[in-house]
Amino acid sequence: MSERTGVIHDIGYRPYTGPREGRWGIVAGLLRHGALSTFGFGRSARSKVLPFGLLVVTLVPAIVFVGIISFVGMDSELLNYAGYQQVTAAFVSLFVAAQAPVLFTRDLRSGAISLYLARPLGPAAFALVRWASLVLAILAFVVTPLVVMFVGGLGAGAEVRDELPRFLVALAGALLLAVLLATVGATAASLTMRRGLAIGGTIVVLIFGLGATAILQEIGREQGVEDAAAWLGLISPFVLVDAVQHGLGDAASSFETPPDNPTTAALMLLIALAAAAAALLLLVRRYRTRGSR
Amino acid sequence: MTVIQTRVLTKRYGGSKVAALDSLSIDVGEGVTGVVGANGAGKSTLIKILLGLLSPTSGDATVLGHDIRTEGEAIRTAVGYMPEHDCLPPDMRAIDFVVHMGRVSGLPPAAARERAADVLRHVGLAEERYRLMGGYSTGMKQRAKLAQALVHDPRLVMLDEPTNGLDPAAREDMLALVRRIGHDFGIPVLVTSHLLGELERISDHVVVLDAGHLLRSEATTAFTADTGHVLVEVLGEDAQSRMGQALAARGVAWQPRGQLLEIDPADAPPDALRDIVRDLAAELGLGLVRIQPQTGRLEDVFREEVPA
Repeated sequence: MSERTGVIHDIGYRPYTGPREGRWGIVAGLLRHGALSTFGFGRSARSKVLPFGLLVVTLVPAIVFVGIISFVGMDSELLNYAGYQQVTAAFVSLFVAAQAPVLFTRDLRSGAISLYLARPLGPAAFALVRWASLVLAILAFVVTPLVVMFVGGLGAGAEVRDELPRFLVALAGALLLAVLLATVGATAASLTMRRGLAIGGTIVVLIFGLGATAILQEIGREQGVEDAAAWLGLISPFVLVDAVQHGLGDAASSFETPPDNPTTAALMLLIALAAAAAALLLLVRRYRTRGSR
Repeated sequence: MTVIQTRVLTKRYGGSKVAALDSLSIDVGEGVTGVVGANGAGKSTLIKILLGLLSPTSGDATVLGHDIRTEGEAIRTAVGYMPEHDCLPPDMRAIDFVVHMGRVSGLPPAAARERAADVLRHVGLAEERYRLMGGYSTGMKQRAKLAQALVHDPRLVMLDEPTNGLDPAAREDMLALVRRIGHDFGIPVLVTSHLLGELERISDHVVVLDAGHLLRSEATTAFTADTGHVLVEVLGEDAQSRMGQALAARGVAWQPRGQLLEIDPADAPPDALRDIVRDLAAELGLGLVRIQPQTGRLEDVFREEVPA
């Protein structure tokens, strides 16, 4: 019989004496975790299907455009960066509607929110970090097709000189879009514990809002009140981003009545940002009350 | 060392006249401290205030030397909290969730992974930690909740009703675990329960709350000390009343307590009393099961001090 040499030690409880991260380290970690779990990372395999499925569908037009330029040899004017989100608005909206609850409704429903709020960050910072995670996830979702078009376009022989300014305007537009969509999604998803309700609410606001704005603007144009119709862009984030890109970035508009001067566009931008800030304030207040219960 | 100190701490919700906590002044030291009271006695409100999540209407409190009004972040960094209700996302594995909670408490990634595995082993979820928590039994969920409260090596843990919903065996395990945290791990524990018997066994110190008022705050030994009374159990036909009559005839005062006789020895020396009981049992032909000194029980505090 061989002699046993291994010994099992019960080392008992070991205190932790190593370094700890400060507030910003915690924020960075939570931000990263939140953005990744929006795409299903760190969750069950099934949770990855929907976000990645939508991303693939959203990429199809970009790949088709690049294919047309490469093989048919059409002009790179076809690469309409600024108008891309309006083409895929339905998919982007679905992504926001389906994934915002991952960061908000899920915490409320499972009760994990009470664990988060009892951690160093506290309610206000936690709510803002959750929102920022959603902004990052949406940004990744809407910027990926733009990057595919930009890189693909350059590969097909387009000039950096021509493409870069248009691409940058679209990137700025994408950032604004992500901020606005995340605010809508976060508001809907943090108001209810029922995922279905959050998804439905977001879809109504985003997809129906877009449709209604387009119809109302069309009516406004026919009635000859283009200036007033331009302001209707405040109803839908997609139309608003288009208006700002057109008014401030000189991009081609995808809608009927874009604002005809930069001042109107700048005012619309400010009003939209103020509305988003107010919504965020309410979000923070909801989390504060939640923590005290 | 005092880990929690409250001074005339009062909390009223909204414009309510009834206080959820009424002028509560307590000191909590090391070891295990039990907070006991019926549902709605203010136990959870107290924990929320101590975590800096709820501001008191008046009064002051410090946790680990930090002021609850201004240093909530420092408190929440150093304290582990296990809430009463469900708080686990069903679509996550215990290991991932506990690592994540460690990160949110400020542990670097490698340390969070190592400590998560460690505490999950300590709470008895070594094998099951790779399963989604949605499939856990109530006992396993309670263990996972406890693990997330310990992962960042807190200097104090607050456990809100950790035995809630557990079957008797799982309850015993959880109580043993709480006791280990307070004594072997060396982390002070504040544990709430509405079951007196539980806290009696694991706590070094007990705080009794009733409708926001402090009834008693004392070492558990003070509650469970010898009351001076003697309990006697006899077996046989109509044993209790026959024994009782015989005792009364000898001038010994007694009262029934369940199947037992509770004797007030008054001034009689204990040896003499034991001899009397033994002789009476022999005379009456009753089986004498036991004669024991009666120790106090926490529930007596309620019996004596809470009007029915």
